[in-house]
Amino acid sequence: MRLRGIRSFGPTLWGIALFLVVLAGTAPWIPVFLLTVLIQLLIFSTLAYSLNLITGLTGYVSFGHVVFMAFGAYALAFAVGTFHLHPVAGVALGIGGVTLRFRGVYFAIATLVVAVAASYIVLEIKELGDGQGIILNIGFEPLSWFYTIWVILAIEVILTYWITHGRIGYGVRSIKSDEDAAKALGVNAARVKLFLYALSGLFAGGAGGVYAWTASGVFPQAFDLTFSLQMLAMIVIGGMGTLLGPLIGAVAVYIPSYIFLTVLIGFQFIIIGIVVTLIALFVPEGIVGSLRKYIPELRGILE
Amino acid sequence: MADVALFMADLALGLLLGCVFAVIAHGLNLIWGVAKVVNVAHGEFIMLGAYGAYFLNLWFGFNPLLSVPVDAAIGLAVGVGFYFGFLHRELRGKESMGLQSEMVTLVATFGLALFLINAVQALWTGNNVGIPWSPGVVLVGSIQLPLGGLYVAIMSVAIIGLSHVFLTKTYLGNAIRAYSQDIPATQLVGINPTFTAAVGTALGFCITMAGGALLTVWLPTGIFPAMGNLYAPISFVIVVLGGPGKMWGSLVGGLTLGVIINVGQLFVGSIALATAIGFLTLIPVLLLRPEGLLR
Amino acid sequence: MTRVLDVADVHKYFGGVRAVQGVSLKVQEGQVVGLIGPNGSGKTTLLNLIAGVEKPTKGAISWDGQRIDRWPAHRIVGQGIAKTHQIPKPFLTMTCRENVAVAMMFGNHAQRESSKALEEAAHMLALVGLGRKADVMSSKLTVQERKRLEFARVLGTGARIVLLDEIFAGLSPEELRDAMNLFERVQKEIGFGALVVEHVMRAVLTLSEHVIVIEEGMKIAEGSPRAVVEDPAVIEAYLGTEAVHAAP
Repeated sequence: MRLRGIRSFGPTLWGIALFLVVLAGTAPWIPVFLLTVLIQLLIFSTLAYSLNLITGLTGYVSFGHVVFMAFGAYALAFAVGTFHLHPVAGVALGIGGVTLRFRGVYFAIATLVVAVAASYIVLEIKELGDGQGIILNIGFEPLSWFYTIWVILAIEVILTYWITHGRIGYGVRSIKSDEDAAKALGVNAARVKLFLYALSGLFAGGAGGVYAWTASGVFPQAFDLTFSLQMLAMIVIGGMGTLLGPLIGAVAVYIPSYIFLTVLIGFQFIIIGIVVTLIALFVPEGIVGSLRKYIPELRGILE
Repeated sequence: MADVALFMADLALGLLLGCVFAVIAHGLNLIWGVAKVVNVAHGEFIMLGAYGAYFLNLWFGFNPLLSVPVDAAIGLAVGVGFYFGFLHRELRGKESMGLQSEMVTLVATFGLALFLINAVQALWTGNNVGIPWSPGVVLVGSIQLPLGGLYVAIMSVAIIGLSHVFLTKTYLGNAIRAYSQDIPATQLVGINPTFTAAVGTALGFCITMAGGALLTVWLPTGIFPAMGNLYAPISFVIVVLGGPGKMWGSLVGGLTLGVIINVGQLFVGSIALATAIGFLTLIPVLLLRPEGLLR
Repeated sequence: MTRVLDVADVHKYFGGVRAVQGVSLKVQEGQVVGLIGPNGSGKTTLLNLIAGVEKPTKGAISWDGQRIDRWPAHRIVGQGIAKTHQIPKPFLTMTCRENVAVAMMFGNHAQRESSKALEEAAHMLALVGLGRKADVMSSKLTVQERKRLEFARVLGTGARIVLLDEIFAGLSPEELRDAMNLFERVQKEIGFGALVVEHVMRAVLTLSEHVIVIEEGMKIAEGSPRAVVEDPAVIEAYLGTEAVHAAP
């Protein structure tokens, strides 16, 4: 199989594909409680890949991504049974169109402020639960949940690969390296950034939708900035802009949280906070980036 | 007419509240101006200042005004620590932080924020606490002003005024201003950049934590670990409104936001919505007048 | 039918500063035009105006009959006009080949397949003498090599009019001779038009068919290299009498 513009798939992509295929194939036989853990892991992975598309690839740090997740969750809860991805895409384009005009720090702050403002506004809307949330009366269908998020994640991973290897990937890297020089060579920086941002918002919304489905409802906590922070933690730990990074990051962040679940959940965030700080200061490439940096043999294989 | 009276009352309250907002934003303004970085954990240091005042009240019976100097002192120490922990590596010897360093600091300080919120939660529980201090009201014309609010507003303006005096009239203050404009030039004139930046940062944190203490007057039950999630965006918006690096900008921005929120709720019906609108003013200001509203 | 870059009575004011005041010039595809003048005379601003980095306060810029002065920079590049930077700005996290490939994928050339762009980039690098450094990180290049990379990049966009900002600056006499030969050879082979901003008199006077002199944002002379160099106004404003010997 060939994707337009790319000659062949790399080993990392095959590796991830294998992992996903094995999961999909064995899903019907996995015990339910383990399956729900896997579903949450896949949701987290989807979120990580979505943030990776904008923050990982362009270096524009978005603090406000939780807003897409929450919108997706609310959109789903509002129209049970259908995934209203279109409103989420519209929101993403709207927010992106405005905030992407700002560079660096200002972009980060703008996304944060917009997310907080959005949360206040949504929580005021009566049709959307009037600040109390919306509860859904739907069944417990772990297999449906699993395959849905699996499909979303698979598409995301392939898209990430295509973007990083194709023409857009070079455009993005040039923007990240020197945005003005990139524009001087014909790169339509605004369009590239907006495209990636809209895409990332779309997938975050999809993950949010599935999340609401698994939780049988959505509550104002959906807007909690902790989600944005977790998404950032995943790609920072895993390795920003890499193909495997978000998946590793999701495992690193989610699995311990499951283990620590009720008793020490706050404790888990303390550790994540420390880990993220240390990694950002001393190992900014993350796990995948560092492996590539210090073990040259891996550079051809690991991405 | 009742509406006008209500409007005037809300306006007055908005101005008083705005003064305190100005202080918590002022610290951010200083750090932003000096180190050109944004501390994502800014809200958490406001929170720590508030908790500081709470515990000083709990253990020693200090009212918030008395807590200010203590919090300020703690803030100085914290600021120095923050500078050497986070900023020194990135700033040392360079003219300004590159994009990569900017990103690193954004992410690192956000890790710090995450850590602080949860550490506080683990230590002191997530329950809302507050300081029971109510010195009563004063009548100005036909408007009732809370004395507590009035006192902290006065103190806020005093703090900003003092910092202005320090920055413009003292040697060290001017060195800090010079540093925030042109790092290589300050070195050429014989100013030690590390010392200057460290002091500037320390001052920023000092004011931030003092602001947190002052804020408690408006939060009889509103001190909790994640409160920074509200006050950080407030601070950012204020700094942008007033103009990053402009010293009186904090006051202008703070008063503006305080009024928008407090008076706005009369027009849109809820304070949450008014706050949201207040926040969103960030966007047009950044687009149309990025230097800020001031001059 | 050769296409023409037409700068018509262009002004650029930055607040009270009049950087460019009523400058008109034409560059044809295939023609090398030199632009000289004292420092601060507005040469770089003029290049920025043509490239779309700045927008003119007054006046019109057209390419092949179409007005481009309100267009964003990347769109102008897409139509075949590209500029180098005075201080080279390579993408430091990418190899030389990748640097040029970006230009090929996004410029007028519009090569959509990344693998083909990477191949063609190697050819372009060989053309400017950087063939052996194709897979070296651009951060490891010397200043002179970075200038060549900058040149290769702008050519990689497939530009039909190239705006060169002091590309011959800071070279030793041998390096200058090599650079001038390279430019002549490449220009004949590819056939682009060029607006060359320079202080190095030997280069601009030898390579240009036509020279324009600017002072304080205004054009003070225009003509063949010899004519310009002997123009008393130019000598007084800029050259001094020694430069008369620099022209062929």
